Parts: sequence; structure tokens; C-alpha cells
Amino acid sequence: MRQHDQGKVQTTLRRFDEGKLSRRKFLRDMSILGVSAFVANAVSLSPLGAVKAFAAIHGAEERAWDLAKAAAAKAEKKTLTLLIPTGSIGNMTPYVEKWKNELGITLEFIEEPDEVVHTKGMQEAVARTGTYDVMMPTAMSYPDWIDAGVIYDLTEWTEQHDPELFHPEWGVVFPASHHAQLYNGRVAGLLNDGDQITLLCRSDHLDNPDKAKTFEDAHGYKLDVPHTWKEYYNLAKFMHNPSEGFYGSLEYRSPYYVKWMFMQRLISKGRLYFDNELNPTFNSDEGIAALEDMLAMNEFLHPDAFSFTWSSNYNAFGRGEGFMNIVWPSGYKYSKAPSTGPATTGKIRATVMPADTLADGTLLYAGLFCWGYGYAVSRYSANPELAYAYAQWMTSPTISADAIPYLGGYSDPYRRNHMLAPTQRLVDTYSVEYLQTLYDNMVNTVPDFCLPGGFEYQDALDREVNACMTGSKRPKQALDDAARAFERITRRVGREKVLKSWLALSKNLADPIRKASGADKW
Amino acid sequence: MTEPKKLTTIQAIILFIALILTLFPIFWIVMTAIKPPTDWNASPAIWIPSEPTLVNFMTLFDPDAIRAYGVGGVSQAATSAVIGSIIASVTATIFSVAIGLFSAIGISRYAKNSKWTPLVILSGRMFLPAAIAVPFVIIFSNIGLTDTYTGLIAIYVAITLPFSTWMLKSFVDDLPREIEEAAMIDGRSRLMAHITVTIPLIKGGLFATTMFIFILNWSEFLFALVLSYSNINTIPVQLAKYVTATAGTLYGVQAALAVLAMLPLIVVGYYIQSHLARGMTFGAIKQ
Repeated sequence: MRQHDQGKVQTTLRRFDEGKLSRRKFLRDMSILGVSAFVANAVSLSPLGAVKAFAAIHGAEERAWDLAKAAAAKAEKKTLTLLIPTGSIGNMTPYVEKWKNELGITLEFIEEPDEVVHTKGMQEAVARTGTYDVMMPTAMSYPDWIDAGVIYDLTEWTEQHDPELFHPEWGVVFPASHHAQLYNGRVAGLLNDGDQITLLCRSDHLDNPDKAKTFEDAHGYKLDVPHTWKEYYNLAKFMHNPSEGFYGSLEYRSPYYVKWMFMQRLISKGRLYFDNELNPTFNSDEGIAALEDMLAMNEFLHPDAFSFTWSSNYNAFGRGEGFMNIVWPSGYKYSKAPSTGPATTGKIRATVMPADTLADGTLLYAGLFCWGYGYAVSRYSANPELAYAYAQWMTSPTISADAIPYLGGYSDPYRRNHMLAPTQRLVDTYSVEYLQTLYDNMVNTVPDFCLPGGFEYQDALDREVNACMTGSKRPKQALDDAARAFERITRRVGREKVLKSWLALSKNLADPIRKASGADKW
Repeated sequence: MTEPKKLTTIQAIILFIALILTLFPIFWIVMTAIKPPTDWNASPAIWIPSEPTLVNFMTLFDPDAIRAYGVGGVSQAATSAVIGSIIASVTATIFSVAIGLFSAIGISRYAKNSKWTPLVILSGRMFLPAAIAVPFVIIFSNIGLTDTYTGLIAIYVAITLPFSTWMLKSFVDDLPREIEEAAMIDGRSRLMAHITVTIPLIKGGLFATTMFIFILNWSEFLFALVLSYSNINTIPVQLAKYVTATAGTLYGVQAALAVLAMLPLIVVGYYIQSHLARGMTFGAIKQ
């Protein structure tokens, strides 16, 4: 939220409660005072009365600020140092002045390449330099970092200061609220980035009447965004036109990224990564089918799919080189902005990830929550309470709604209010339709390997999936090799430890996914 | 002196291909460094920018410069990285070559009965850097050397010393010891004989070794990455940080920094090129 005069806000709230302001004028005045549209609207409609409702929504922010003030006053070190991934600073810089001017706290950012942040955290576990106060890893880092003793268990602070992580109206969307913040039921970090993948299509091609007729004649159903993986394949094949430099899809086949394409398809088929005894389950018929689906799709992919990074993928889609793309929310933002998506701005229709048909004939919609940054507090911080206050303040329903639309940061919507009661700036950045899509997809997400040794599991899987995609291994062999690698990792990390974490993780998944995978009976 | 032979057609073709392969990355980096953001990752690739710009170079020292093209997110200038690389590389090279020189003389002239010494020294370079990085972090944090130039220089010296010792040893071996003995007969001490006779006579090798060690230090990434927090920075680490949420990887800015990083090597290389071939082959080409 922009700085505003608290006194003027309180006066406006009181006047509205006393009936001295119309709703329209109240919304306008609150907007002028820098209060987000979401807050102003919710307050004006609340049966509690404006003063109480405002206090409720602003609660997490206000409590964090009070804590920050108290912690800053007694802090000897007047700097708060944040370990952040390169490229994420844009969501944080707008608040630097406020912290400096009102708290006397200088925010110092140490940027590291995103793939190095986890390593830096593990390094801090042995080096104990105390350099960092706040650390911004992905959810996958929490288990290893907690076990290594490098970050605090935040549970007691969250109980005391209530960041409203699970609030029904403005809490973090379930199940990300659990799998991207908790480790074995304890709060390890506060999510600040709703990373999930959704499917983007070029609406100008979907709306083309000639294509619509040809497609419907050929397939017997209307040309639309794909609802199943079969429809996704049909669409990619139909739209694929390499002679014009236009390809069916831009989904990743490159090392590091390709695992997510496999994991997404696997969970669509109702399979998780392990069973209830931590035996790998991806080297099953479903896993093989997932790889075969991917191999079949290779024919209709962008020629750079095998070397895409997230940015080169976004660039290619923004230049208009493909019909579909599977991307993080930042990819939508990127394609929507005229500067980075000159060929796609105003021409995107998004949808939740396609469903797959289960053995009983039902469709299973499953999304993949992959990556997703959050704030953790270093155990070696000189001012841990201040660091926690920063994390709660930045991720509060109000401040986060303000922070996300700023350019130059990775933060994407993750709270319910971001998607279902968005501010105008959120709408301008994403669009109402896409925010709804994000919500619809997020409620069904399965997380990354947010387990002890999570990065090792992912890397092992990635290597084998990539080997299969490049033709050096058959699907069964690749997945069996990955399963063997998983067993070795499990033995090394500790079966009991990983199993406990896996069962805790799988307990908090959407019901259809738990049912389809059998996790509801574990 | 024999006349150089003329190249056959096949040799000329092979040489031409080798030249193209060698120069292509340099050409591409230089071209990318002067491309505007729209051309960095264009498809089909733009070989020569239609509107060359210096904005990538300007962004290195003024992060806001790139905003003229609607690209934001660069949060810090590369100044500290350039200064850091100079401090760490130059100092470490001086120490490495100085210590390596006297080690080389010692091994070559006075270690007749310890034939394993050179191999033991070289074995220090046979560890994978990744395997020793974390132990160094632990040791350095206990003695307060993480995130300091002293620590970075110390480790640079440690990892390049085997190279400098071996390279210089081959030059010293190549020098007849009778020349030093003659100096000593003339009244010079052993040390002065080495300083006034040995060193001037191997100055070509000394230049080449210095250049080689400097290149190793200048391009070192892993140790700089793991040992740095906020106080130290180097060019290779800075290169990895040019990723922004709004524009992805800033290829043009990366290329500009790479061009800048190449310049000192090209300039120094030009001046000592006559010594390079001999030095880079560890003295295999004997006079």
C-alpha cells in the first residue's frame, strides 16, 4: 500500500459509519488516500461497519507494522539484509523509503541467481555468517533449511501475530497455503509468489471463423481452449504451421524445465510421485503414458523447445511464434504487456491445465504449483523479530496486493483477495479472467518436491525425462533409472524423515487428487 | 633459416574453419553488446544490429539507462564487480606468480632428491573446485575471511599456484644452470644470481605465466560466488545476475560486460603474444 495518512483514513471510515458519506464518495476518498480498491470495497460492504472491517483486513499489516516498530526501536543493527533471487527486487523496492523513513531501518538486498539461493542457504547453515536476516527461497528449500537449522520455525510468531494465512476471504489459496508454507505442519515461510503453471492460447486464432469451421469439421467439437490433454494435442497439431514460423505449442523440453512438463502430466493422470511407503510411483503405466504423450507432442513444438529458458520461452511466445504455451503467471504478464508481448497483447485466452481421463471415465483437473518464492527468517539474524515482521508485512493481504503488480519482480497472486477481489492494478496487470483462471487452477495444485532432498529428487527426475525426450532412453528405462536414483536419495536423506514429510504434504491436497491417487486412504 | 611453406588448399580450408569457429563467439558477443533489447533474442537471429546502441554498456554503470527501451529491473551497477575483479585478480596473480617463481627455482635447482614434489604441488589442482568450496567456506567463516578480498585472493593464489609453479619450472629447467654459476663465480650470492640472471632470462615465460594465471583468476566463478555476500563482487558473478523479471535474461548487458572483461586480456595478450606460444605449452617448445 502506498503511504497514506492514517488519521485521514480513520476519519473517512468514521464518517462512512455515521452515514455522512455515500458509498461512491467513500470509495473515491479511500482511493485518494491510497487504500486499495479491494480493501475499500470490502470495507464498504462489510456488515461489521467500516472501522471494524478496515481493522480486520488491515490486521495482518498493522500487527506486522507494530511488531516492526517495536523491533526496530530496540534493534542495534539498523539494517535488514535480504537474500533474494536476481530479478525479484521490483516487488520490494517501492517500500524501501517507508522502512527507512518511518522505522529507521535500511533494507539491503543481496541478489543471487535464482538457482543459487538454495545453495547459499545451505552454505549459511555451516558458515553461520549472520549476513542474512530475511531469505527468499522457493518452497522446496524449507525442509532442508529447517533441518539444517538455518531458518526459524515461524509457527509461534504466526500464532502470535496472525498473518491470516488461512483466512477464508484473504488467506493464501488452499492447498498452496499448506504445501508452499508448511513443513510437517509447522510454518517454515510465508509465501510471496503464487507460482503455478497455466495454459495460454492465442485467442485471435481461436476466434478465426475459417479455422473454427475447419477444426470442428475435422474433430466434431468446437474450436476452443483445450479442456483435456487429448484436446491439447489435437489443437497443437491443428495450429502447427512451421512453414509460417508458427508452432503448435511452446512447452518446455529443455533441461531443468522438462521435469515440470512430466510432473504436470503425471498428476493429471492421478499419480503422485510416491506411494504411502515412499516407493516411487512415476515409473508406472501412467508415467510411461505421460512420457509417450510428451514424445508425441515433440512434433508440434517450437524448434527451440529443447533449449528454452523461462525468458527465451516468454520471448518467443510474445513474438507470436506459437499458438499455446504452458507458463507461470509471469508469462501471462509478459505476454500481455505490449512491450514484451508485441504479438500477443490482447490476444491471449488462458485456461487451467488440461484434465486427463481416469480409468473410471472421470476427468481429473490437476495443476502444478512449481517454484513459488517465500520469505524465511534466518536463525543467525541479529534481528529475527524484525525480519519476521518484514515477512508478515510484505505478505499481508493489503501490502501484497499492492506489491504484486509492480514490474521487475517475480511475485504473482497467491491470496484469495488477489484473485477473487482484485485491486484495479491487479486487474490491469493480469485481467479479471486470468485471475479467475489462476484461482481455479490453484485450488487443484500439487506441489513440487517440497521434501527433504527436494532439489535432488527433481534433478534426478529431470535428467531422466530429458534423456527420454532426446531419444537416448526409452520411457520405461528412463523412469526406472529415475526411480533407482530416487531410492538412493531417500536412503541418503533418511527414509523416515522424507516419508513423514511426504505424508504431511499429501494430506493437504485437493480431494479429487487425493481420491484419484489413493492418498485419501493413506 | 628456412622459408615458410605455402599452405595447401586443404590446410587453408581447415585454417579458415578454425578461424571462423574461434572468432564467431567473439563476433557474436560484440554484436550482442551493441544490439538494442528488441534484437537480443530475435528470431530469426539478427546478426548485425540495424540500430547499434551503447545502451548495454551504459547500463553497466547506470542501471536505469536500459529503461529507455522499456526494460527495467537492473538493480545495481557493475562498477563494484569490475573493481572487485581487478583487485582480486591482479593481487592474486602477483602473489601466485611470485611464490610460483621461487618454488619453481627451488624445485628446479635444489630439489634433486624429491622427485615427487612437483607432482604433489600439482595434485592441489586436481580437486574439483565444487568439492572443496564448502570446506573453504567453513574454514573461512571461522577465521573471518568470507566475503573479504583477502579470503578471495588467498583462495585464488592457492588454486593457481600449482599452475604457476609448473609453468615456471619448465622455463627454469630450460635454462642452463652454468649461467647462474658463472654469476656466482663473479661474486653474486645464490639469491642475487637468480634475481639478476635467472629471472631476466625467463622473462618471456614469466609474462606468459602471468597472463595465464591472470586469465584463470579473472574468469573464476565458483569460489567468488560461494565466498561473496555483499562486500565483494566479481565480473563472472555479476554476469549471472543479469536476469530480470520483466525482460528475462539481459543478454545485451551480459555481452557488454563480457566485452569489457575481454579488453584487458586482449590488450595484454597483444603485447606479450611473442611469449605466449611457448608459455602456454608449458615450455614444451624448446629454444
